Amino acid sequence: MTNKVLLKGNIAIAKAALESGCSCYFGYPITPQSEIGEFLSSEMPKRGLGYVCAESEIAAINMALGGTATGTKVLVSSSSCAVALMQEALSYAASDELPIVLVNVMRAGPGQGYIYPSQGDYNQAVTGGGNGDYHTIVLSPASVQECADFTQKAFYLAQKYRNPVILLVDGLLGQMAEGVEINTNPYQEIDNSSWRLDGNKDRTSRKIHSLEPNETALNKHIVEMHKKYRYIEENEVQCEEYMLDDADIILTAFGSLSRHAKAVCNYYREQGVKMGVFRPITLYPFPKKRLSELSLQAKQIIDIEMNMGQMLKDVQLSVLSNAQISFVGKPVGSWLKKEEIINIIDNIIKGGVNAGI
Amino acid sequence: MNFKKEDENYIVCGAGGQGVLSSGSFLAYIFMLDGKHVTFCSSYGAEMRGGAVNCEVNCSDDEILNLQNDKADYIIALNQTSFDKFISKVKPNGTIIVNSSMVQENRVRQDINYIFAPLSELAMNLGNIKVANSIALGILSKITGNFSIETVKQATQNVLKNKQELIQKNIEAYQTGFNYTQKGDN
Repeated sequence: MTNKVLLKGNIAIAKAALESGCSCYFGYPITPQSEIGEFLSSEMPKRGLGYVCAESEIAAINMALGGTATGTKVLVSSSSCAVALMQEALSYAASDELPIVLVNVMRAGPGQGYIYPSQGDYNQAVTGGGNGDYHTIVLSPASVQECADFTQKAFYLAQKYRNPVILLVDGLLGQMAEGVEINTNPYQEIDNSSWRLDGNKDRTSRKIHSLEPNETALNKHIVEMHKKYRYIEENEVQCEEYMLDDADIILTAFGSLSRHAKAVCNYYREQGVKMGVFRPITLYPFPKKRLSELSLQAKQIIDIEMNMGQMLKDVQLSVLSNAQISFVGKPVGSWLKKEEIINIIDNIIKGGVNAGI
Repeated sequence: MNFKKEDENYIVCGAGGQGVLSSGSFLAYIFMLDGKHVTFCSSYGAEMRGGAVNCEVNCSDDEILNLQNDKADYIIALNQTSFDKFISKVKPNGTIIVNSSMVQENRVRQDINYIFAPLSELAMNLGNIKVANSIALGILSKITGNFSIETVKQATQNVLKNKQELIQKNIEAYQTGFNYTQKGDN
């Protein structure tokens, strides 16, 4: 017998958030992530925690600015077109250095799009839709177990760096159930008593704001933020490597699609082709150095995404060798299947360069 | 390097209210209790009852790599619409278990195995039409040999907890399904 429970990704995220000490949730329902709010709406009041179904997504993320400013662990969840509404507040959170954890269970865009699965929000999450010179840390799970584990990690990193963290989840994973263990939070608590706004009865007053009408001070603030980003880039990069030791063809993919890439890799390995899979887990910071090293031994890099090539740019920036870079993608709908990917890659190996659907 | 065999894929399909999702997720739960890797995906329309519902269960000894599959090794079809729609999705040499109380016996493909069983009737004989899906799982247990009736009983107790009457009724249903195929074999 096993300690695992069978859970949808959405429920795993909600349970892991509670395990991380999340004590406030703000959100507004949207497919395919509504189960997160649904589950927490019954679970949080029972535990005396704060659950608010806000009047809009804009309200929800701004409540999160207030909640995190008090040092409280706050979860916000939404999906693609509604996360677009939250970009202004994310930029504020980055500048205010507020540790918001935002879950984006992706659906199809652009604009209203539809509820079809897609990985179309890589750019939105990684390069940001808000104004100004900022980064959010972005984690990309490939299984329901990782949905749970990375939720806990997201709370830790957010607190550790006082920075918003986005959990970028495939709609497929939000809705799919797998066996999962919700572990007790493995991360240490971060002391936030030096900055949180919790009443100034026994100390001098504090303020958290992004308005800075002093040019020197604003420059200094942004440079300090970027020192933090450099440190994160040095210390928090995470990736998964599959059969890469002798690979001269490297497949790159993120999220659950990387599992299809592994199935493709197994197929080619059986044919004697030296293929491996490289999966960035932190999309920001992107595992640039490692991919760069690996590309030195590779003849070909094939990037596979459920969009029209958003991570492709980061792959291209990482590859410093003469390896040929190709792209396999499809914007929305059922995940590219093993056989579909193999058909396209057969052509690429035969000499075609770019082949989309 | 060792290459594992492909995952095993199951589809349960029928109409909303027939217990498609509950038997699918229950099947996934059984495999999980047996220490297997499982994924469970469901698909349903906006309708609550009567609309088309189906779900996919994948099972493997290793990490499941193919999350969405076109075809399945075993399909349980609980009504006519789902039988018509999903018969093309059975892999060659795969098996479809069909609720013949609601589906006309029509062997349109020669390269697959059929088990036509009057699941609704059998369930009504047990006094509860809602356990038709559990009878199908009993049949599946028998023909695949992939999970034992013992695990099914354990899983039923875990899921239904204190509802003794329901536990008993479902276990009777599995047993009925399991024995039904034995008759079919003779």
